[in-house]
Amino acid sequence: MSLFTPEFGLVFWMLVVFLILFGILAKYAWPAIVRMMDERADFIDKGVEYTREAKRDREKAQEEAKALLAEAHRQQLEVLQQTERLKREMIADARKAAENEAKQVREAANLSIEQSKREAELQLRKQVASLSLQIAEKVMRKDLATDKTQMEMIGRLLNELENKE
Amino acid sequence: MKNGVKYIWMTFVLWVWALNVGATGASVVGNELQQIEDGLVVRVDSVMQQEEQEVKAFDPKATIFEHLGDEYGWTIVGNVTIPLPVIVRDNEGGWHLFSSSRLTGGKTYDGFHVAHEGDHEGKIVGVDTFGNEYRPYDFSITKNAFSVMISALITMLIVFSLVRFYRNKKYKAPRRGMGGLEMIVEMLYKEVIVSVLGKESRRYAPYLLTLFFFIFVSNMMGLVAVFPGGANVMGNMSITLVLALCTFVVINVSGTKEYWKEIFWPDVPLGLKCPVPLLPVIEIFGVFTKPVALMIRLFANMLGGHLIVLVLISLIFLFSVMGQVVLGITTVFSVSFAVFMNLIHVLIGFIQAYVFMLLSTIFIGLARVKKEG
Repeated sequence: MSLFTPEFGLVFWMLVVFLILFGILAKYAWPAIVRMMDERADFIDKGVEYTREAKRDREKAQEEAKALLAEAHRQQLEVLQQTERLKREMIADARKAAENEAKQVREAANLSIEQSKREAELQLRKQVASLSLQIAEKVMRKDLATDKTQMEMIGRLLNELENKE
Repeated sequence: MKNGVKYIWMTFVLWVWALNVGATGASVVGNELQQIEDGLVVRVDSVMQQEEQEVKAFDPKATIFEHLGDEYGWTIVGNVTIPLPVIVRDNEGGWHLFSSSRLTGGKTYDGFHVAHEGDHEGKIVGVDTFGNEYRPYDFSITKNAFSVMISALITMLIVFSLVRFYRNKKYKAPRRGMGGLEMIVEMLYKEVIVSVLGKESRRYAPYLLTLFFFIFVSNMMGLVAVFPGGANVMGNMSITLVLALCTFVVINVSGTKEYWKEIFWPDVPLGLKCPVPLLPVIEIFGVFTKPVALMIRLFANMLGGHLIVLVLISLIFLFSVMGQVVLGITTVFSVSFAVFMNLIHVLIGFIQAYVFMLLSTIFIGLARVKKEG
């Protein structure tokens, strides 16, 4: 029975056909298929990895944005506070400066008042002295010459008078 | 995965359809239809009549082995035969090429005819100068050889369709039939070849994948009852012998130093290998039994499937002499069982191709042993 005893011709043709089939597929088909399958698997892996990374990045960016926003808020608050403080300081400074100025002006005024008062006194004294001299002259006419000693005596008398006041 | 299962089912349905077409084709041949109500009986009866015209008594053994065996032309139905080329070399060294149709009906052409009895029954024989029959070198493209070529072409078609798909739509997931095909390739490559051979898988994958697809396609073609299929290819020792031989060559060519050392000088107590090389002899024996086991397993499984279907169909003819009622019952019984067996055979065809390839992979893996550590 030819089923169990290998037939030479059939073995020959089978071998030829199988080797040709193997040769063609091994050269043109399987390496391409295996490579493509691997490539696509890599591609999918990379895609998944990329997506995961993108997701992570996005989360990170979101967190960063949140942090940035919080920071901005904080800074804003700080700036506001600073401004407030500055304003208060400025007002205080201004007030102080104004007070100083006022004080200075007052002092200067006082000084000038004092001076003019003194000048006026001096003048008054001179006038009083000369008036008194004239009066004394008129009164004594003769005795009382316009001596130096007489003038001094009158000045002393006036000082006494003044001190009495 | 779900898609894959769907397409496996679709394939099943397709094969069943093909089988039915084959059966219907057989029934159409009967030209004298009797008016009997049971359609199946009509079918069988008409075939019976034709059969009776050719041979008086039904001989199941001869019929079965005629169907399982090889032939020079490809008989499709009845007398319709596709002639195939006969290529023979006579004992004087001359080559003869002619159509197998010149030998039908016991005709003699160029001094060659098909022997009807004797050692070379069913084979082409020549007659030498002394009047004795001799067997020439027969390179005829017989039914099986032709079927092998068709299977190879279909395998190529299938595989290149996948290549074309990849080339055109590089990063797209394949759908429909392509998805099922890729699922099979991926399963074989990732889960068998890579897991067994590891880094060397790219080197051996082409051989192993070709092996699987060729066996699988041949098995499936064997199940189609009509012309391009129906030949008992993988149930023929010559075919499985070649496949086993190829695996044998691949295994032993890729054998490492460690592999040969384990055969001729295994790590066993000295007494087992020195004066009498007991284990080396067993190991050397094992080198040959591995591919032989592959050869017999595939051959027997595929032959068995064909045989069971043929026996079931033959039952119809054997019981036909016992009257119409028995014939009817047997027909229903046999045909339903034959369809069932064919469905199982689709599964077996896949499993055997897978097993052949899996064991080849494992044997290659064993031959690629490296020194441990």
